[in-house]
Formats: sequence, C-alpha cells, structure tokens
Amino acid sequence: MSISTPGGPERRPTVVSTGKKPAAGRPSAGAKAASGKPAGAGRSGGGKGPRKPVTPVKVSQGRSWGPIALFTAVGVLAVAIIGYGAWATFQGSKPWEDRANSIDGIVNYREKDPELVKGGKHQQGAITYSVLPPVAGPHNDAWQNCMGDVYTAPIASEHAVHSLEHGAVWITYRPDLPADQVEKLAAKVRGNEKLMLSPYEGLDKAISLQAWGYQLKVDNADDSRIDDFIKTLKVNASVEGPTALCNQGVTATGTTPRTPQQLGAQQ
Amino acid sequence: MTAPATLDGSPDETPVTEHGDRRSARRFGTVVVAAAVVVGLLLGYAGGLLTPRLTRPGDASVEAGFARDMTTHHAQAVEMGLIAFQRGTDQEVRSIGGDIALSQQGDIGAMQTWLRSWGLDPTGSQPRMAWMPDGTDMVRNGLMPGMATPEQMAQLRAAQGKELDVLFLDLMIDHHIGGVHMADALLDASDEPDVVRAAQTMKNTQQTELVNLRNALDRIKG
Repeated sequence: MSISTPGGPERRPTVVSTGKKPAAGRPSAGAKAASGKPAGAGRSGGGKGPRKPVTPVKVSQGRSWGPIALFTAVGVLAVAIIGYGAWATFQGSKPWEDRANSIDGIVNYREKDPELVKGGKHQQGAITYSVLPPVAGPHNDAWQNCMGDVYTAPIASEHAVHSLEHGAVWITYRPDLPADQVEKLAAKVRGNEKLMLSPYEGLDKAISLQAWGYQLKVDNADDSRIDDFIKTLKVNASVEGPTALCNQGVTATGTTPRTPQQLGAQQ
Repeated sequence: MTAPATLDGSPDETPVTEHGDRRSARRFGTVVVAAAVVVGLLLGYAGGLLTPRLTRPGDASVEAGFARDMTTHHAQAVEMGLIAFQRGTDQEVRSIGGDIALSQQGDIGAMQTWLRSWGLDPTGSQPRMAWMPDGTDMVRNGLMPGMATPEQMAQLRAAQGKELDVLFLDLMIDHHIGGVHMADALLDASDEPDVVRAAQTMKNTQQTELVNLRNALDRIKG
C-alpha cells in the first residue's frame, strides 16, 4: 500500500504531462498539415477521406521535434558538466598569491611594504626589524635550520628571516601558550622540511605565522587558517625556490645572532 | 516560399505549397545539423582544453604524494650527506655523502618541477604517506620510514671522527631502506612515465648504495 500509493501519483502526472506536450504541439502541426494536405489530396483526386494524408504528416512533424528536444537537452547538460569542470579546475588552479590574499586576517607585506620584501642582503650582528616577528628584510648569512625543527627556546630573528627567504614558514607562539596547544603546533612541524617552530616573547596574539612577506596571527592552534597558511605559502613564498636549503643552518637557540667565530666552531 | 517555387519552375500553385513546406523543413534540418556540428566542435574544443588538466596527476594522486613525501625524505638525506661530506674522516664516507647530497638535491628539483607543472602546491592536503597502502600507519612522530629522529640528527651533528662516520653509515642505511620501500610503492601504483622512471632510478641507486654503505661500515668498524 505504502509503496504503490506514492508510486501511482508520482507516475501518473508524468504520463499526463508527456501526453499534454505532444497534444499541445499537435494543433499547430495539424493546422499546418490542414493547409497543405487537403489541397494536395484534392489535386490527386482524393475520393478518399481526409484522414489518411493527415496522419503521415503528423508523424513526420512529431519525429523532428522529439530528437531536437532530446539533442538540446543533452547538449545543455554536456555544456553544463564541462562548464562546471572547467570552472572547478580554474578555481583550483588559482595562483597561490590569490589564495594567500583570501586567507582571513593575513597581512600581505608584499603589497603593504614592497621595499621591505625586495630581498635580503646579508648583515652581521643584531638587526632591528620594523615588523615583529619579522617577515622579511636583511638577515644573517647563516639561516636557522628549518628541517621541521621544533625549538623550545626563542631563536634569533636574524637567522630566522634567512629561513623565510628560503621558503620556510616560521611558526611562533607566546611563551605562555598551554603545552597541549604547543604540542599541536609541534605535530604540524615535526618531520616537515621548510617548517620551524619557536616561542617568541611579546606577541600580541597567541600564535603568529611568518612566511617571506606574509604574516597571520591567530588565537588558537586549532584554527584551520594555520594549515591554509602553510599549504599556500610554504616554498611558494620563497624568494629563492624549492631547492634553497633548510639544512646546514643554525640549530642553536638564543635571540642573539651567532658570530662568524661561533658558526665556524659549530662545524 | 517564392524562391523554391521559381527554382522548381512549377506554375501550379498547389504543389508549391507542398514543396515549400518540404523545403523549409529541409532548410530547418540543415540549420539543426549545422548547429549540432558547431556545438560538437565547441564541446570537443572544451574537452581538448580540459583533458590535459583532468588527466594530469591531481592533488590527492599517488604521484603528487610521492613527489611531496620523497622531497621531504630526500631533504633529510641531503642534510646527512652534507654533514658526512664536510666532516667525515673516512674518504669513502665523504665521497658517498657528497654524492648522495647532490644527486638527491637534484631529484628534489625534478619532483618540485613536476608539482609546479601539474599546478599543485609543494604542500599537500593529505596526511603524509596517504598515497601508500597503509602508509599513514608507517609515520612515526611525523617521520616517514627510515628517517632519523631529531635526537639522532643532533647526535650526528655533535659526532666527531670515526664515531661520525659510523653513525652516518648506520643512519643512511636505514634511510635508504625506507626510501627504496617508498619507490617500490610508487612503482606498484603508477604508470606516469616520468615519475616511474625517476622512482626506478632512485631504487636502483639506493640499492647499489646500500651494498656500498654496508661494506664501508664493515670496513670502518673493522
């Protein structure tokens, strides 16, 4: 009962509607046929009834409209499918710069301060950065090792900025961030080259992410924009391309940059 | 209506209507065929534009996963190789270290170029090793099979002399075993010519090096 009842009403309207459409088409077809055929029938000396000539014309008219409708429907469907595919592919292949700009809250210093992000000359000793944590600028000739290194103490910005130039994403957190939140960040970093994590004193938000020329500050390690930032900007934001090294860098912590003597001793 | 009548040369008015109807129907048919051809060509053009995009490896493909994960795996081998090249005391350790570092860094360049030409980011959305059957279970603390832990890397950086030579060989043997395993997984799952050829080359190289690394280890340990 319950099966046959919904089945019946559902089917009947379709039958009725398909019946209606040809019926709607027929009068016009019939009218056309009526104008031509009776005349033709009259010429050939039609002693026969008018019904016979009318029927074949009706059939030929109906035959031409059906396939056209079908063809149009299939065509529209195909165009829609291919169009959607093209649109989806186009959206997916948007340049990383566009995708970076669409991350909510990201600060784009490439647009804001083009002079800052131009490039990085090497400079010894302490460097004063205008943006904190720094996102670009001059830096020490030695970079901070960024092979998925998880630093538990603050590191020198002078080395870290060089890592950014090589395509690393540097994740920094306020030292008072709860341990479980720090662990969530560390899990994203461990084992992944071109990523590094360190605490950073004086952050105005719990977590700040840096890539060359970009910064994003968030309150929580569960924020999905962290992964968006990493996926979009790791290596992509690099000034020097995907083969710039993250290894052979400084692995020591401490906010004072290493001296050439210390670096020599490290090897 | 009048043109076909003139062409037919039929003076009779009644057949003109009949012929005219057929003519217009025929003409209508021609328009439909022409429209069908145009639509068909447009669809073919769209298909032709899209096909290379749809057939090249996608973001979650085995090939993209391999390129990304092998880049990371290689990057650590480069790090270890350069340490051995710089500070190894045994001549063979230094030369193997330099060879591994440079050749694997070259591989990284090729794999990153694939990703770019496929329109993909160097960073995937999938977890590490998701492209390999049961691959994600092999990841330990973010490390893929054969990769040295941060503690082991710190040990290698601090090591001196013969200790460094031996530790490098130990770590690189494990690293290569993991690398060959990953190359095998790609060879099982892909028929993308460039990627297959690169994976086969990596496998060949690392298998040969495994023999040499083990022999060097035996020789140095004495």
